[in-house]
Amino acid sequence: MLELLTQPLAEPFFVRALVAIALCGATCACLGAYVVLRRMAFVSTALTHSILPGVISALLLGFSPYLGALAAALLTAAGAAWLAARRGTSEDSAVGVMLSVMFAAGVALMQQANSWRDFAGLLFGSVVSVGGEDLLVIGVTAAIVLLGLRVLHKELELASFDEEYAALLGARPALMRVVLLVLVALGSVACVRLVGALLTTALFVIPAATGLLLGRTVPQVMAWGAGCALAGGIGGLYLSYYLPAVPSGAGIVLCCALPYLAARIFAPRC
Amino acid sequence: MSRIITALSRHLGEAVFSLLPSIPYAQKEKIGCPGIAVSAKQLSAAARLDGPVAFHNATFEIPCGCRTALIGPNGSGKSTLLRVLAGLTPLLSGEAQVAGEPPRLGRSRIAYLAQRPHLAELFPLKLRRLVQMGTYAHHGWLEECQHGDEAIDLALTRLGLTELAERPVHTLSGGQLQRALIARAVVQGAEVLLLDEPYAALDQPSREIIDRFLFEQGHAFTVVMATHDPADLGRFDRILEMREGTVITRHACSGHDHRHA
Repeated sequence: MLELLTQPLAEPFFVRALVAIALCGATCACLGAYVVLRRMAFVSTALTHSILPGVISALLLGFSPYLGALAAALLTAAGAAWLAARRGTSEDSAVGVMLSVMFAAGVALMQQANSWRDFAGLLFGSVVSVGGEDLLVIGVTAAIVLLGLRVLHKELELASFDEEYAALLGARPALMRVVLLVLVALGSVACVRLVGALLTTALFVIPAATGLLLGRTVPQVMAWGAGCALAGGIGGLYLSYYLPAVPSGAGIVLCCALPYLAARIFAPRC
Repeated sequence: MSRIITALSRHLGEAVFSLLPSIPYAQKEKIGCPGIAVSAKQLSAAARLDGPVAFHNATFEIPCGCRTALIGPNGSGKSTLLRVLAGLTPLLSGEAQVAGEPPRLGRSRIAYLAQRPHLAELFPLKLRRLVQMGTYAHHGWLEECQHGDEAIDLALTRLGLTELAERPVHTLSGGQLQRALIARAVVQGAEVLLLDEPYAALDQPSREIIDRFLFEQGHAFTVVMATHDPADLGRFDRILEMREGTVITRHACSGHDHRHA
């Protein structure tokens, strides 16, 4: 039994993936607390899906896929904000437009690159794909996001809870929203290797939803969420290791859903 | 697990914040009330930028410490006037001064309570933390907020909330929440309280506590309160009536300044 757990640890790629999911899980769970509390789940879905055309065009043009992904995510956020600023388009439909257009562009580019199979890892994550350079990018991104959340904690909490009071104090709630969108874009870019463009949004939503059932303050929600993401992430990697047909993203999301279900059933109601 | 992460985060946070400069949210305000808390000359404003004008040519003065009732039928512009004074709604024309300066966002000396505050539902926040948000006005960006414990305790006691301090905000009744929001304004150090129908749908105990706080304890507040209750008006020093798109001062207080009484 113990061998089942230790055997994968002999593989360097698996250890890299473990470190990566620990960093990604903690980052996404902490960001996810705000994503869920501010009902931004749809925006985060749009940002993660829009990574697809960014990565593919970066690969086709020959520069870093992370830069392409980040540019595409920021373009989506800016585009949605610009569309929603016009009369007659609600924010919801603006996000919907950007999401589908960017994803369609990604599919079109994928056909251009003429191979679906190469991009399966991009869509659903791949446990073998995390290299040393990816680990560095993930580490730096996680540090930036967690530091940002820590330093702006009271403003983000205030703007998320009572936007009008934040405005009255001069704490710039609109700016806080932009900051949060940029952090979500950074977080999704960091996750794309392991979890994939289609499933990253689950890492924002499921751990945070679990945390909300168990925590009574925002830091507690983040801590419970990080625990859930960590457990789900490690479980998912093992699942994907022993069942190679299961992409790592799918395994991670399925394993994250278990703590959520447990919390849903057993959490005390207050 | 959660406790270790919280402790780690606190220590890391303290280290980070000690390296960063603190930046105020808004420019500093002049100190000292000039005797007139609110003065309005020829104000006109609309609830929405592209909407119809809510009132025009509103001219009135409210001395410091004066408790003022703002009355008028639904849709007469009471809420818009309060939002203008709070700095949330821009003026179309005219000139206003609140606590010695024109209304704008980022003023710690003005507090505004909306009729129905838009708070995020099921937000994981304890009542004490909600009240502590008032202290943010004095700290600004890049500063941790572990301050103001004494002021928070005092405000909680005055509004009868001490027992509820650790309760999650979403479990509070409407009246308890209203009291918490007033406590937050007190901690903020506000001198001018702009209240939009604070008594709408309040339970009797909360109503009595808020009443005592505003009318009997002799606090250093200027109160401007939109109200619908005609039985209430006797307690106010001054009544502003909104009628036919403008403001009429019905009953002026003697200019008696409660702050020095």
